[in-house]
Amino acid sequence: MEWRHRHLLGMADLTAAEIKFVLETAGPMKELLRRPVKKEAVLRGKTIALMFYENSTRTRTSFETAGKILGADVTNFSVAQSSVNKGESLYDTAKTLQAMAIDLVVIRHASSGAAAFLARELKAAVINGGDGEHAHPTQALLDFFTLKEKLGSLTGRKIVIVGDILHSRVARSNALGLKKLGAEVVLVGPPTLLPPEMGSLGVKISYDLDRELPGADAVMALRLQLERQARGLFPSVREYHRLYGLTKERLGKTGKETIVLHPGPINRGVEIASDLADSACSVIEEQVTNGVAVRMALLYLMLGGGRNLALD
Amino acid sequence: MLWIKNAHLIDPANRITGRGSLLAREGRIVKVVVGEELSPAAVTAFLGCAGLGEVTVVDGSGKYLFPGLIDVHAHLREPGEEEKEEVRSGARAAVRGGFTSVLAMANTRPVIDTRALVEYVRLQGERAGKARVYPVAAVTKGMDGRELTEMADLKAGGAVAFSDDGKGIQSAEVMRLALEYAKLTGCPVISHCEDENLAGAGVMRKGETSVRLGLRGIPASAESVMVARDALLAKETGGRLHLAHVSTKESLRLIRTAKAAGVDLTAEVNPHHLLFTDEDVPLTGTCYKVNPPLPSREDQAALLEGLLDGAIDMLATDHAPHTWEEKAKPFAEASFGINGLETALAAVWQELVAKGKLTPEKLVELWAVNPARRFGLPGGTLAEGAPADLVLFDPAWREVVTAETMESKSHNTPFLGRELQGFPVMVWVGGQLVMKDRKVLS
Repeated sequence: MEWRHRHLLGMADLTAAEIKFVLETAGPMKELLRRPVKKEAVLRGKTIALMFYENSTRTRTSFETAGKILGADVTNFSVAQSSVNKGESLYDTAKTLQAMAIDLVVIRHASSGAAAFLARELKAAVINGGDGEHAHPTQALLDFFTLKEKLGSLTGRKIVIVGDILHSRVARSNALGLKKLGAEVVLVGPPTLLPPEMGSLGVKISYDLDRELPGADAVMALRLQLERQARGLFPSVREYHRLYGLTKERLGKTGKETIVLHPGPINRGVEIASDLADSACSVIEEQVTNGVAVRMALLYLMLGGGRNLALD
Repeated sequence: MLWIKNAHLIDPANRITGRGSLLAREGRIVKVVVGEELSPAAVTAFLGCAGLGEVTVVDGSGKYLFPGLIDVHAHLREPGEEEKEEVRSGARAAVRGGFTSVLAMANTRPVIDTRALVEYVRLQGERAGKARVYPVAAVTKGMDGRELTEMADLKAGGAVAFSDDGKGIQSAEVMRLALEYAKLTGCPVISHCEDENLAGAGVMRKGETSVRLGLRGIPASAESVMVARDALLAKETGGRLHLAHVSTKESLRLIRTAKAAGVDLTAEVNPHHLLFTDEDVPLTGTCYKVNPPLPSREDQAALLEGLLDGAIDMLATDHAPHTWEEKAKPFAEASFGINGLETALAAVWQELVAKGKLTPEKLVELWAVNPARRFGLPGGTLAEGAPADLVLFDPAWREVVTAETMESKSHNTPFLGRELQGFPVMVWVGGQLVMKDRKVLS
């Protein structure tokens, strides 16, 4: 199989076969991560710019690490120090990057569609590192990689995603991709954070976590932005945790061995209890490791010729 | 002196539709004859001239002759935002699009809230010498929704309506007072129905598409609750209310109820709400970003139904020019608004009239007759004695919409680069030919 996409903007653009192709490529990348000398030269001479308009340590560092291991030159386009703060538009920033002959740009931006906007203006490849409330495809791919590692095939597997679905690009990308991989997806949250229109993605929506847990193979908790309380979207952390917080006791309702995911960073005691987050069923740290592997795979496929034969 | 012959004349105000001739002199319509050929002798007799030598003869075979269309909702941006549009460029764009009169909205910088500013806009319109430009003055000073403007003085300066369009009046009491006080002037208050709490930071209609794209949704109720409020206030005060850009089926239901209860209320629909839905919005398609946002398919069907059964009184462009820079941004950050004057008639013709959903007669009623009546403007009819504001419309004319050919200073339209069929080919204002073969005459 050959990689055919110039950009990675969202799960909507990928077929099930393409998703699997990325995950298969990430396997050997994870091996590489375990080596004592973590360095390859496959992307030597390639330049990657990381443009993070929103705070992110995890995703940015993950991309940076992935790029460097494969030998690429990675530039951090830190917004605080750049001309963006002087009022430069995203369009002009794109032109500047173009002039520097950057090969690939990773963008994280608060506006939905910012990555697609950049992709339209740039010759360079663009990876969406999270745009507004729209999509976060690399997070979804690392989640799939983690799920497959633990569960094998995802066909028919029940995956419950719980939390602030309305504002979550992670939930959207996961729901779209998991459907393509044949999983049964249930989105759970309070009505104010779970629009009924989400059902149009072909997933089940529910306000009752306890009713959805039986039979769940994996539960993914989403980060609750505490400032949503001020906007009246939920009454209190106390009630939220009581209804939607993941605890060891509650997870017992699945009736099977269930893994717990979280895109991080976690609010301990809000969407997930500390002891559960640190327990054996939590794969939160592995998600971080897998994030590097999946991003290595993507950078390799997008910049390194589109085949994964070199590492086989 | 002007003799337009062999055209299909449409004048719903006088129940005229058919092939015939129109004669005009000194800026006014002198005679309309349908169903019979006029002899040159009859023409000279009606015009009171010695021979045809003094008469411009236009053969309108295969074309329609409408009264000049009247657009009650345009943002001409002057003063203050001349980089987007000026009264002059807007008045030129208007006649190129088939409009011989436009109402210029008050949300300029500064806001049109004093007589001097009303007179300035009117004067700029006269200087442009193309479409007639009628200023709309603000309802509240600075459009801040608190204190009423000097409506009597504004009317004396030339304002034909009052509106804070661009922004909804959030205080029900201020709206109530506005409807009451405007009775002094006889001018309608045009309401931009938008509850800012409900609209929030939304950028498109709340629905499946907004959820899929991760764009903040504006619920339909953000408009409809204000329609309900304003209809109740108009009923209570006896004020004259006109609803701008109605876009939801619930609004339609409320309008029907209000009209049945005798409320002095009219309503307009914008072509883009009839031609596009929220499903057409692409993630990077900022030219589709408009307020109120593009409706659901269900809402759209209700709008068309309302247009046909009289719940909706008129079409209006809500011409909202924006610079390229303001639209070359991620969707959430781009400005709201669609450029409409030069494409609206052609698009409505192609998509609704040519497809049999709307008759040419109804089109003229909605875009000329009713606007003239509601806002007390001259024109809107081919009646003898009316101003010779005329549009010769060629249903066969095909044209690709391009930035180079547009008269507007902005090009923020979903039709840019697309071909449309059915355009005005000659336009007269007060008997003066101002546009010919798609080119505005200088």
